[in-house]
Amino acid sequence: MEELVVSLGTLALMGACATIAGAAEDLESDFGSQSNANSQVQLAPQVGYVHRIYNKAICGEPVGYGFLCASAAAIGFALQFAFAINIVLALAIGSTISAILYGIFATTAYMGRLTGQKRFGQPIYLDILLTTTPSIIAHAFIAAMAISTFSYLFSAIIGQPFPFPILAMLWGIMTGGMGSAVGDVHYGTERQYMNKPFGCGLAASNSGKIIQQGEAGIRNSIDVAGFCVKHGGPMTGIGLGLTVFLDLWRHIIFIEYLNGWGAMIAGFIIALIWLIGNRMLELWARNTYGPYKKAED
Amino acid sequence: MVDPITLLIMVLAIGIGGLLVSIGVHFVPVGGAPAAMAQATGIGTGTTMLAASAGFLGLISAGLVMEEMMIGKIEYASFVAAVGDGTLFSPAGIVANIGGIAMILAAGIIGAMLMMVILGGVSNILYVYGLGVPLVSAKVKYDPITGDRQDLYVTRGTEGHGTPTVALVSAVIGGILGGFGGSLIYLVFLAGGFSVAAAAIGAIGIFFVNSVLASYNITGTIEGFHDPKFKRWPRAFVASAIASIIIGVWVAAIIYMGVA
Repeated sequence: MEELVVSLGTLALMGACATIAGAAEDLESDFGSQSNANSQVQLAPQVGYVHRIYNKAICGEPVGYGFLCASAAAIGFALQFAFAINIVLALAIGSTISAILYGIFATTAYMGRLTGQKRFGQPIYLDILLTTTPSIIAHAFIAAMAISTFSYLFSAIIGQPFPFPILAMLWGIMTGGMGSAVGDVHYGTERQYMNKPFGCGLAASNSGKIIQQGEAGIRNSIDVAGFCVKHGGPMTGIGLGLTVFLDLWRHIIFIEYLNGWGAMIAGFIIALIWLIGNRMLELWARNTYGPYKKAED
Repeated sequence: MVDPITLLIMVLAIGIGGLLVSIGVHFVPVGGAPAAMAQATGIGTGTTMLAASAGFLGLISAGLVMEEMMIGKIEYASFVAAVGDGTLFSPAGIVANIGGIAMILAAGIIGAMLMMVILGGVSNILYVYGLGVPLVSAKVKYDPITGDRQDLYVTRGTEGHGTPTVALVSAVIGGILGGFGGSLIYLVFLAGGFSVAAAAIGAIGIFFVNSVLASYNITGTIEGFHDPKFKRWPRAFVASAIASIIIGVWVAAIIYMGVA
């Protein structure tokens, strides 16, 4: 019984860490326009829309985060192993170092991506570089710390046998996948194209025509994150938190039933509930918003 | 010394695992950047990383269940012994321990399924409430599963948005195949005497090889099994079969020489 309580308590902490990590990850990728549709930010100057958006998308979010979190966890592991530093401190130091490395990556990526656009008249704004990069580092630190912490808990207390830097890499990739699937939609459709009416996707003919003006003055990446924090970031956090929580909850509670098969049946039922919920959401959206055309046949 | 028939079965198992990953990727509704602008149906992540995200949760679940077997929390003593002495993939070992093998594969499948439904489901909440668009596909006139009319709900200038029921079911099928393949490969590595860390990294590597091959075949976006691009799967099947068997032979060589 005590073991179960400890496992569930750890799981709650892991779920909370994952929720924070997801939200920080999405906002960080919005700061740097690493989110989809980063191709639009790259395309914009080519169709005459010069902008002040930070642009560091030289690799996808999942890979970027996989290595950010793996390096944070690996440095933390090394510090704990070699110098017997308390794991909390070791992970904090590891996350700080990897966040600074991430800042170097962001700076060189921004300079590199925009240098290639000189012929389209896109300047490199040093004030943007100096104000946005620290925000990127700060958010990357929060995400790396949270992910390496819950990977450590997963390994040390729940008992997942993979070494925790490998777990941090896998969870980093999954966090990036979640941020890319969920948060990017809010950034790509709603924020970069706020001039289109609410309630429609972006027409292909409008590609690249991102908004240049902000609420006050010319828009930059920090304005973008201020918008995405209302919906995209929290939803990404909820998605990642649910992933961690639901998968482990059904495992911890039901693994002892039917010699392990209880956890599998519970997982299958949870997936079915999600599918049914998705169908209800689909029906609600169809009845509320559409149809947009009359049937001709 | 591992006997040749066991080694052959291990090569075949890695081949089958790789093929399942590759075919599974074709089922995943990948929208990439167009999906992130609600310009195309699917989930807004790239092909490889979307499939990998699901497969990795399966791998983590399979690893956790394997550990619970090792510590005796669930009773699969002969299976654990067979993994330990490398006889799991001999013909007799497979027959005797089919229950344990099924358990690990099921753990991989369920983990990957859960990741897929959450990825699709949470992003759909954002599509509906954050963007105000219905979930719809432009590749088919009627949803093959629910029978709902699709074309009337597509907003102007786009090719659909969100992950409608048919695409989410397809994603779950993709998750099932990817999770099965990934956990099978992990099990082969473990039974071959690799450490847990080496087995995890090996499984991740083979997973990536096959999902990258499949994403080259897909070129951009795909909505699932109802998409015309899905018919291209035989090409990926051939490529992944060759790649996985070659990797399988290398793995078998490492196991044979006992350097794992």
